[in-house]
Amino acid sequence: MSTTTAAPPAEVKPKILEKPQKAPAVAQPSPNGESQTKGENAAPPPAPKLTGAELKAKAKAEKQARRAQVKAAKDATPGGAPAPASSAQSNHPTADSKGNKAKGKPDGAPSASSGATGRTAGSRGSVPTIPPKPESSIPECFSHLSMAKRLPITQADKDVHPAVLALGQHMATFAIDESITRLKATLLAFKKVIDSYTTPPGNTLARHLTPHVLNPQIEYLSACRPMCFSMGNAIRWLKLQVSKIDPDVPDAEAKKELCASIDAFIQERINFADVVITQKAADYIGEDDVVLVYGRNTLVEQVLLHAHRVAGKKFDVIVIDDPYERQGQVLAKALSAEGVEVSYSGDFGALRFHVQCADVILLGAEGMFSNGALYARCGTSDLAIAGKDFGKKVYALCETINITDRVSTDSLTYNEIDPERCSGSSFRLLYDTTPSHYLSTVVTEISSAQPTSVSYLLRKLEDSN
Amino acid sequence: MANNDAKVSISGQPPVYSNPDVGSFDIVATYHRLLADDPELTMPMATIEALIEALGASSATTVFETMNLVEAQSDRLRQSPLVANPMAVRHGSDFFKQYLIRELRQLPSSGGAASGSESRNEDQQFSVIRQHLLRNARLFATRAKDTREQIASQGRHLIADKSIILTHGASRVVRTLLERAIERVNGDPPRRFKVIYALGDGRRAESEKVVAALRAKGISVATIPETGVAHVMSKVTLVLTGAEVITAQGGIIGQLGTYQIAKLAKADGKPFYVAAEQHKLGQTFPGDQFRFGCSGFEQNLLTYFSSKTASSTAAETETDDEKRARKVRSATPLDFTPPDLITNFICDHGVKATVELEHQAIDMFLG
Repeated sequence: MSTTTAAPPAEVKPKILEKPQKAPAVAQPSPNGESQTKGENAAPPPAPKLTGAELKAKAKAEKQARRAQVKAAKDATPGGAPAPASSAQSNHPTADSKGNKAKGKPDGAPSASSGATGRTAGSRGSVPTIPPKPESSIPECFSHLSMAKRLPITQADKDVHPAVLALGQHMATFAIDESITRLKATLLAFKKVIDSYTTPPGNTLARHLTPHVLNPQIEYLSACRPMCFSMGNAIRWLKLQVSKIDPDVPDAEAKKELCASIDAFIQERINFADVVITQKAADYIGEDDVVLVYGRNTLVEQVLLHAHRVAGKKFDVIVIDDPYERQGQVLAKALSAEGVEVSYSGDFGALRFHVQCADVILLGAEGMFSNGALYARCGTSDLAIAGKDFGKKVYALCETINITDRVSTDSLTYNEIDPERCSGSSFRLLYDTTPSHYLSTVVTEISSAQPTSVSYLLRKLEDSN
Repeated sequence: MANNDAKVSISGQPPVYSNPDVGSFDIVATYHRLLADDPELTMPMATIEALIEALGASSATTVFETMNLVEAQSDRLRQSPLVANPMAVRHGSDFFKQYLIRELRQLPSSGGAASGSESRNEDQQFSVIRQHLLRNARLFATRAKDTREQIASQGRHLIADKSIILTHGASRVVRTLLERAIERVNGDPPRRFKVIYALGDGRRAESEKVVAALRAKGISVATIPETGVAHVMSKVTLVLTGAEVITAQGGIIGQLGTYQIAKLAKADGKPFYVAAEQHKLGQTFPGDQFRFGCSGFEQNLLTYFSSKTASSTAAETETDDEKRARKVRSATPLDFTPPDLITNFICDHGVKATVELEHQAIDMFLG
């Protein structure tokens, strides 16, 4: 690993660990044991396809059997595999005692484990609440919209790597929320997956890794929360890299190569992209401007801080908050701690007044469609429409990895349901789609462009890769 | 500069300079001399010619030195307070740098040679390019003038019979286009059209010269002050204007007043065409009227004062350079016309939509 790549994991790790600490810490031992036995289990050809219920039952049985086996193995070889075994042993009693809370025993109360969600902004993860059972309640015409759900770890496929298991839980609880952070965490977890992988005899890495190892991880992750566009793009890229690996290359070298290219990808498409966009967008903030932002977006926050600290500009900020998330408060506090004057509005009351006061509107993107429509936090389009009405400049900030080749003109084709606000009579959507003509400029790391040129950027990127 | 040449010829071996020496060469003066000598020269082209002259005055012989020199000299020119439009300078030097890089890529690389001698070889081949450039310094400018004729032949097809064309400014492209359109070209009959010329207050003499030239060619021209554009817009068939710079999003930066006419044309639903050479296209990306996306460029047309207060407190604190820059720039003020107000560009290679130019700008950037 090069020095440049050493930084990203360090950045993300604390994030992973900070929120629902119990779940991953307890979850670790048993899947670790799994990964030890995985080699033996993966060697025989995979079982024929079963229905969901059968599969679940089978997985459950298998899991129990495996757990017993692992336990026996651990007891039998105390000095065997030092690190994981000893940690598993030391954690063992806690695992039993806390099992009901975080992990859920196969025969225990799984509902309790699935209830350890808690998405409320302030006290996330501290008080377990039971989410509604939404599948049945969503009208059929909206059945294509998916929703994050807390999948009990016990229900996960046996091949799911512990790092991915933990990541899935974070995504399901929205502890890792933004598209770009999800992407980064996913890639880092996949690096661990690749690292702990060995090609079974009689197979080649290029042919075995994707269907037998990567796909279960991906399925698990998307079951926890529907994948965002950037993850889709990156996974397609990763699979292509895997398929390109020469079968004659030894395992260790191939893995090293893959990990290196993942690192390069993170560096180039995420870290470097963010730096470039930050600098560019900060240029669009003028002296004595009033900048209007919506909710909290990491990239937007970086831009504001850069313009203030590095470019030394004097400007005011209006934070309009998403009333369901209140993440804007975090941003407002961070900015005012830096000495930026911030006005805060908790919801869309007086939206047009605030827009009228603003000079520049900065929007963070969750994704971008190739027709130039912006896919972002629900409420963004109201802001953009008001901005257009008053002739304000509306900038959308988006890394090119977030651009999808799909097209959408409305907010219902692609969206996600808020798992916390979903009842039989109503539900809330997490995102909305802003048509391209309400945006003045899209700022990407390649170049700033008219939103309608996004598809051209995408094509250029594909050509150059 | 003669001194440098002598040094090279005596030692036989070109001396290695990390920062190429250009002697007493002054690129800013050269740039202005070129513009003054040839009124037909556009600003990006004058930049290129000035850079070639800098190359001639320098002792740079290797690829690296030359690129360094071009970089340093174009930065100097761009940041000079005497340059009215640094965006045009930037686009010209970018165009030139790209030309150099393209030429370098086309060099036949000797495959079997060791890397050291290969780069040596490359440098030798590069000196051939350099010689070629110096000998044909005027080539860029003459080619640019040819493109004006190309644009004229493209543009005449947009002029419908008995149309009335509104124009302003002293764009050479527009003038050429109108002058050719009134003539019979290759059996294509002359167009029948009339021109309304919006006279600006700021550049009265220049405008009147253009009007006189057009009338001399047999084009009937009516003049109207710029304040009367909205008044006559209902009579107009199409608006035709030039540009100093084409921006990366497919808009233009041009003489103050262009934006206003574009807005009025849009309000009345009249087509707004921009006739401009493609070498004016570049990476400048203006955010709005007050941010042209060019560091160091500031055009502050707004000075608030009343008879009871001093004119401006800033005027006392500004440096000499800033004062000079303000003087130069307020003599030739600019505005930015965003792409949504522009119907089409009339370019060297045909009539193009604004998106096409935006795509070209992206291509330029990605190389």
